[in-house]
Amino acid sequence: MIRERILEPFRRPPAPEPRPATGFYTDTTVCIGCKACEVACKQWNQLPADGFEWLGNSYDNTGELSATSWRHVKFIEQPAGDGFDLGRLLMMSDVCKHCVTAPCQQACPTGALIHNEFGDVYIQPDICNGCAYCIAACPFGVITRSTIDGHAHKCTLCYDRQRDGMVPACAQACPTASIQFGPIDELRERARRRVEELHGRGVSEAYLYGDAPGESYSALNSFYLLVDRPSVYGLPDRPVNPWLFMRGDYLRAFVAALVSIAVLLAAMLLGSGAA
Amino acid sequence: MPGLGTSFGRGAATNYQQDLAHSDCVLFMGSNMAEAHPVGFRWPMKAKEQGATLIHVDPRYTRMSAMCDLHVGIRAGSDIAFLGGLVNYVLTHDRWFKDYVVHYTNASCIVQEGFRDTEDLDGLFSGYHGDGRTGVYDARTGRWRLDCGEEGEAKEEKEDWSGGTPMYRMFHLGMHGHSLDSGAGSYRGKRRDMVTGTDAEAQKDTTLEHPRCVLQILKRHFARYTPEMVSEVCGCAPEELVRVAELLCENSGRERTSAVVYALGWTQHTTGVQMIRTAGILQLLLGNMGRPGGGIMAMRGHSTIQGSTDLATLYDVLPGYLPQPYAAEDHETLDSYIEQEGMATGYWSNFRKFVVSLLKAWYGDAATPENDFCFSWLPRVDDDYSQLPYFDRMSKGGVKGYFLFGQNPAGGAPNARLHRAGLRNLDWLVVLDWFEIESAVFWKDDPAAPPPAEIKTEVFFIPAAAAPEKEGSLTNTQRLLQWHDKALDPLGDSRSDAWFLYNFGKRLKQLYAGSTDPRDQPLLHLTWDYEYDHPQRLPDGSLSRIEGEPDLEKVLMEINGYRLDGKRLVSGFSELEDDGTTACGCWIYSGVFPEPGRNRARERKLGSSPIHPEWGWAWPHNRRVMYNRASADPEGRPWSERKKLIWWDAESRRWAGDDEPDFEPEKAPDYRPPQGAKGMSAIAGNQPFIMKPDGVGWLFAPGTVKDGPLPAHYEPVESPLGNLLYPRQPTNPAVRFFDGPLNRLAHTPTWDFPVVATTYRLTEHYLSGPMSRFNSWLNELQPEMFVELSPELAAEHGIVHGDWLTVETARTRIEARAMVTRRLRPLKVEGQVLHQIGLPFHWAFAGEVVGDNANDLTALVADPNVSMHEVKAFACRVRAGRREGPVPKPTKPPGHWPSREPVPDTPAAAQPEGRFGEND
Amino acid sequence: MSAELNIESAKAAATVGYAGRPVTKAPNWHGLVTLDILFNNLSAGLFLVAALGELVAPATFRPLAAVAYPIALLFLIADLVCLVLDLGDPLRFHHMLRVWKPSSPMSLGTWSLTAYALPLTLLTAVSLLPGIDWPRQIVLVVGLLPALGTAVYKGVLFSTTAQPGWSHARWLGGYFANSALLLGAVELLLLAMWMGQPTAAAVLRLASMLLLILNAVALALLLGELRGPLSQARGIRGFTVIGAVVLAGIIVPLVLLALGGPLAKVGAALLILLGAVVIRSEIVRLPHLLTQARAR
Ligand SMILES: Nc1nc2c(c(=O)[nH]1)N[C@H]1C(S)=C(S)[C@@H](COP(=O)(O)OP(=O)(O)OC[C@H]3O[C@@H](n4cnc5c(=O)[nH]c(N)nc54)[C@H](O)[C@@H]3O)O[C@H]1N2
Ligand SMILES: Nc1nc2c(c(=O)[nH]1)N[C@H]1C(S)=C(S)[C@@H](COP(=O)(O)OP(=O)(O)OC[C@H]3O[C@@H](n4cnc5c(=O)[nH]c(N)nc54)[C@H](O)[C@@H]3O)O[C@H]1N2
Ligand code: SF4
Ligand code: SF4
Ligand code: SF4
Ligand code: SF4
Ligand code: SF4
Ligand SMILES: [Mo]
Repeated sequence: MIRERILEPFRRPPAPEPRPATGFYTDTTVCIGCKACEVACKQWNQLPADGFEWLGNSYDNTGELSATSWRHVKFIEQPAGDGFDLGRLLMMSDVCKHCVTAPCQQACPTGALIHNEFGDVYIQPDICNGCAYCIAACPFGVITRSTIDGHAHKCTLCYDRQRDGMVPACAQACPTASIQFGPIDELRERARRRVEELHGRGVSEAYLYGDAPGESYSALNSFYLLVDRPSVYGLPDRPVNPWLFMRGDYLRAFVAALVSIAVLLAAMLLGSGAA
Repeated sequence: MPGLGTSFGRGAATNYQQDLAHSDCVLFMGSNMAEAHPVGFRWPMKAKEQGATLIHVDPRYTRMSAMCDLHVGIRAGSDIAFLGGLVNYVLTHDRWFKDYVVHYTNASCIVQEGFRDTEDLDGLFSGYHGDGRTGVYDARTGRWRLDCGEEGEAKEEKEDWSGGTPMYRMFHLGMHGHSLDSGAGSYRGKRRDMVTGTDAEAQKDTTLEHPRCVLQILKRHFARYTPEMVSEVCGCAPEELVRVAELLCENSGRERTSAVVYALGWTQHTTGVQMIRTAGILQLLLGNMGRPGGGIMAMRGHSTIQGSTDLATLYDVLPGYLPQPYAAEDHETLDSYIEQEGMATGYWSNFRKFVVSLLKAWYGDAATPENDFCFSWLPRVDDDYSQLPYFDRMSKGGVKGYFLFGQNPAGGAPNARLHRAGLRNLDWLVVLDWFEIESAVFWKDDPAAPPPAEIKTEVFFIPAAAAPEKEGSLTNTQRLLQWHDKALDPLGDSRSDAWFLYNFGKRLKQLYAGSTDPRDQPLLHLTWDYEYDHPQRLPDGSLSRIEGEPDLEKVLMEINGYRLDGKRLVSGFSELEDDGTTACGCWIYSGVFPEPGRNRARERKLGSSPIHPEWGWAWPHNRRVMYNRASADPEGRPWSERKKLIWWDAESRRWAGDDEPDFEPEKAPDYRPPQGAKGMSAIAGNQPFIMKPDGVGWLFAPGTVKDGPLPAHYEPVESPLGNLLYPRQPTNPAVRFFDGPLNRLAHTPTWDFPVVATTYRLTEHYLSGPMSRFNSWLNELQPEMFVELSPELAAEHGIVHGDWLTVETARTRIEARAMVTRRLRPLKVEGQVLHQIGLPFHWAFAGEVVGDNANDLTALVADPNVSMHEVKAFACRVRAGRREGPVPKPTKPPGHWPSREPVPDTPAAAQPEGRFGEND
Repeated sequence: MSAELNIESAKAAATVGYAGRPVTKAPNWHGLVTLDILFNNLSAGLFLVAALGELVAPATFRPLAAVAYPIALLFLIADLVCLVLDLGDPLRFHHMLRVWKPSSPMSLGTWSLTAYALPLTLLTAVSLLPGIDWPRQIVLVVGLLPALGTAVYKGVLFSTTAQPGWSHARWLGGYFANSALLLGAVELLLLAMWMGQPTAAAVLRLASMLLLILNAVALALLLGELRGPLSQARGIRGFTVIGAVVLAGIIVPLVLLALGGPLAKVGAALLILLGAVVIRSEIVRLPHLLTQARAR
């Protein structure tokens, strides 16, 4: 038993054949805020409830993504002008972005976090040891460490279902096809057409978030169609991959260390020479 | 649903939800479809993607409003004013669909001389008996009838209206059977006489100029519903009304169709039936009925609430909307009953076939022509046994025992406090349910109740099987029957409702076996043989553990009907006979099981047309769009290529198209009935509403609605405002009240309760909560009772978002969290600022999460047609802070669930990810 | 009253939504991590200073080093205990050794720690068991690089995150590296004083002063980068106070070291240690403070 516990993580079964990358395209303009995706996710993955706290943020009582809530439907009541009138109610089902270059995966020291054969970011639950580095690394605040088992958890993009040729539970449950699942290339194309269509209809503010790599961040395999600034939806306006700076930071650290060592050596040589 | 039945012939949604994808414009009013019917809402979303306009008219801005192109906020209970404004706009701007209206409606019919409209009588119609607050209409003396050129009936009759007389019982208590085309009518006399005289036909003026013709009456009646007046009453801007009217007009006609979707925001009012009637008038005028993308979708509730009304859960209706006979001379014999209730013309002329076949299905060989097919065995209605009067009686000690199947009146019924008082007055109560609901634990967990020792009710709780644990069919909101198989045996001692009733019936039969008492004979002769021929098997092939489960397919076959010689199943209701050679349990379902082994409700085939005729089975006769003859013009050609559905194929001399014709399949458009024709031969080839005796849609209802032939706006019984449209008549003059200390009302206009309250549902919960408040996945999504209010109202009373507030009505007060939101806006009504609040009604005192119950605030009142309460508009006041008194505590601890047990027969690698800790 | 409440509830109704809320989640790193950084720096710094001393001036430093290595090992063990206990699942600490993933500072750090622990253990053994002497030089040299890695990776780990504050701190790694050496010098200085080694003490006093000046540079760079986040978390005034405390934390020990009396040196050493603890704790808390500040 103990031997198994020690040895198991070191065993490496052969890696599965890579498959065409899959992902989500979430069209927030057709989300009706029914939360079927949240419940479907909990049910499929047998995730426990997060507690019964009334938050009063419009219809949202989930609050945030967590180790036990891998989907979170957000509600944004926007005022019309300065008065008391309501402008519009935006709804959006948030989930892990399955970043093509994923900081969480880059961070993970155990190799628990991987890009699986579908190109989705997956935590191997038997490997993660709860170091929490991925949590610090995720620019979207997605991944969370559970207080129940101490491991990090997040959307698996229904890896288990995908392997059996099934659509992820949340996408399956979504009544309005706000969550669309499929090969990522197709989704991108479909989404771009949809944006054009919306522009044609006068929804000029519609745009895609994360469909293509930006200056400081990779593309997202779970990308969004939005109609307001990302920060309105609780997304970073301009996500930054922390690894952009890692080399520089190492360099600075080594320089600092070497300068310090040089100073130290100088003092030693000087001091002991004097003595 | 007499609102629809009166106008078109059948009280059910006219189209199917998928058809909303074909609409050019959808008006959602009194429905919150995206939240209450989220899966069906994908179809209007489809329409929107294709360029349709979605409109939501609702006191609250909801998740659905967010999806609509236009949201118009109105005052709860003011819908007739708004819809009347739309009708008026269509009429005054000449935007009605002339060809359609002239041929397919009763616009040209002439109403009897002597009829007086609300215009003439300050808000009342002629024929009223009452004090203005409560009373009844007599359509006959009110002369609402269509003019059939006869004089005989005109004489004023003296009737005794005092308490206890037959007149009183029939009119006042409403105990007059419901039927398919309407509820209890206001026409005392033969139903057929409303439109046709003994032999004469109603007079018509196809130029529509006659001052007494329906269209002219309509014009005069709705003339005061101007945009400005509507704005004053409803609180919306006049331009908003005009905008909605324009959108509907632009999107109706030959090339385009608009649909209306409603639900409880209309029905749950004392004027609900008339709200639906107004929509019916509007849709007839715009020519949207019977056409793809048109119609009126009544969005119904519980999974098979449509099925249970079809199969007669109401006390005054027999299966298939045959009126339950009442204890009066007119209904003494089969002949007199049919004479009274049947129609000479139209499809209802087959009435006798349906009744006799029903009696044969129930009483088998005992039913013979000689004994009137045992018609006398049918129980007679002698009082109002609908839920509200029944519980009123119970609360006053008038009921001893009660069976409660799948209902939670202690939580979900209007004035739930009164309902609980009723339950506390019972000697015994049997509850069949999945959970220990409020109605089962009211004696120990109701924080407002006396100590358990003082409650004498003996409660028997029977665990009920859940849907996957039993088979059966569900009839959904679009009349679609869908069979579901049993997936596994029920847990422990739980049994299906069918098991319970079937075995209960068998034991009763045993108990009375051998009795010769005439009153025991109906029970002893009742057909009750639904044993399985072979032991029941589960999908995995194993034998079911449950003994005594009835074979529900046998029940469905009986419902479908069969010929008695050789028990051959009939293929549809056209095969039914009135001579006792056929049996049929519910004529409108006839055709669902046309041959052995072919349960059409079980079919799941996708077709090439959007109709998908082999996906389930819809009544009547698998017609998905009712009255679809109207999708073609009078000559039988589609109104337009874009909107074609069925049409007359001159070559094959049949109606052709995607849908099953809701018409005689071989009746040519140019068919004209000969003088004095009876039955279906009296319906011309250009008259699509075959359930109506005159084959046309009723703009004017000559007697089938109890509160007037035309809709008129009245205030809710509890409203802070008077009636601006008819100042002398504040509320519906035919409402029924239930007086008592537990049911105090603040009559309109009330100054003590200046805030208008409405109740509604959330996607996250289900009804009074049993099916959701025992489920932590749903509870975490909406854990606490709250009340929505505007920032302005909150500021006025010092109420802070997220803190407590107390809401008080004339009945009692409750506390809840304050949800201060811009989604609720104060309205400018009749020159003053009026506040509205919204209360979800999902919380009560049993379950994993509990809270105060919105229904403790609501009142018991009954609209005259269907005894509907008014939980969608009532008067209240609000204040910051909590109420005094004990608060409810959860009766179930938050579940340690999902369990951490691994899923059996599943390898470790395939265990659900969330079974934390099981991966080690 | 009404007007006031009007505004209040209007605000309440308007503050719903997500804009202005923290997007990232602060990791579950608190006190143990502060201690972890401290012990890491104390150990690596001590080893580096002792080893370098032993290499360049064996005569002066060798006796000191023999005591320093066991102490460094003790600090390292304390550090590892903190690290393991801070894991969500400590029994899986060895999963860190499944992969060699230099792109992850934590993986690199783990391997540095491992690679550093071996020579250090060996040196400790050698120091405690006199007699076996010969591999010392080699082991010393072998230990230098992983020790350097150990001192360097920590800051980079923090700056290579998406956390507000940390992700702004380009010089965090530099600061920690320098600070480790400073702490090492000060530790050894105390040891020298305690063991009565005046020559070494003199050298180390000078070294400490020079490193402290470098430390001031690193801190200035760091504070410059963190001005925004810190003033957001602590307010503008709070930031000014921090600046003043840091300045004092440099100048006072510097002056004390310059004065040179034994008490002054001990005082300086203690102040430097205290400063290190305070700064580490403040840095570890920064994202937590910021996410709270913004959630409000
Ligand atoms: N998730 C969920 N789905 C359900 C149910 C549930 O409990 N939960 N219940 C099922 C059942 S049994 C039913 S009957 C249906 C009901 O479905 P709906 O009738 O759609 O549901 P409600 O929320 O009761 O009311 C609909 C809307 O009417 C509005 N309203 C209130 N008063 C008025 C008024 O005077 N005029 C107008 N125009 N609108 C008004 C309310 O603000 C609300 O938005 O839903 C079914 N579906
Ligand atoms: N204020 C306010 N009040 C309302 C409404 C409103 O809009 N506002 N809406 C009204 C409407 S439309 C409705 S339909 C009513 C609904 O009110 P109810 O009919 O009382 O509905 P529920 O509260 O869901 O109770 C149904 C019960 O059936 C049980 N059940 C479910 N399936 C089965 C089964 O197969 N067998 C048995 N035996 N039991 C089963 C469930 O556990 C639950 O306890 O509420 C009405 N009350
Ligand atoms: S969103 Fe966060 S958790 Fe998801 S893949 Fe990207 S970095 Fe990882
Ligand atoms: S918490 Fe788990 S998944 Fe996240 S970085 Fe650490 S080991 Fe990897
Ligand atoms: S893909 Fe699967 S795991 Fe991810 S949110 Fe959807 S249901 Fe949950
Ligand atoms: S299921 Fe679809 S429509 Fe419903 S909340 Fe989730 S994303 Fe929105
Ligand atoms: S609750 Fe049932 S009927 Fe209602 S939308 Fe969901 S699946 Fe459909
Ligand atoms: Mo309902």
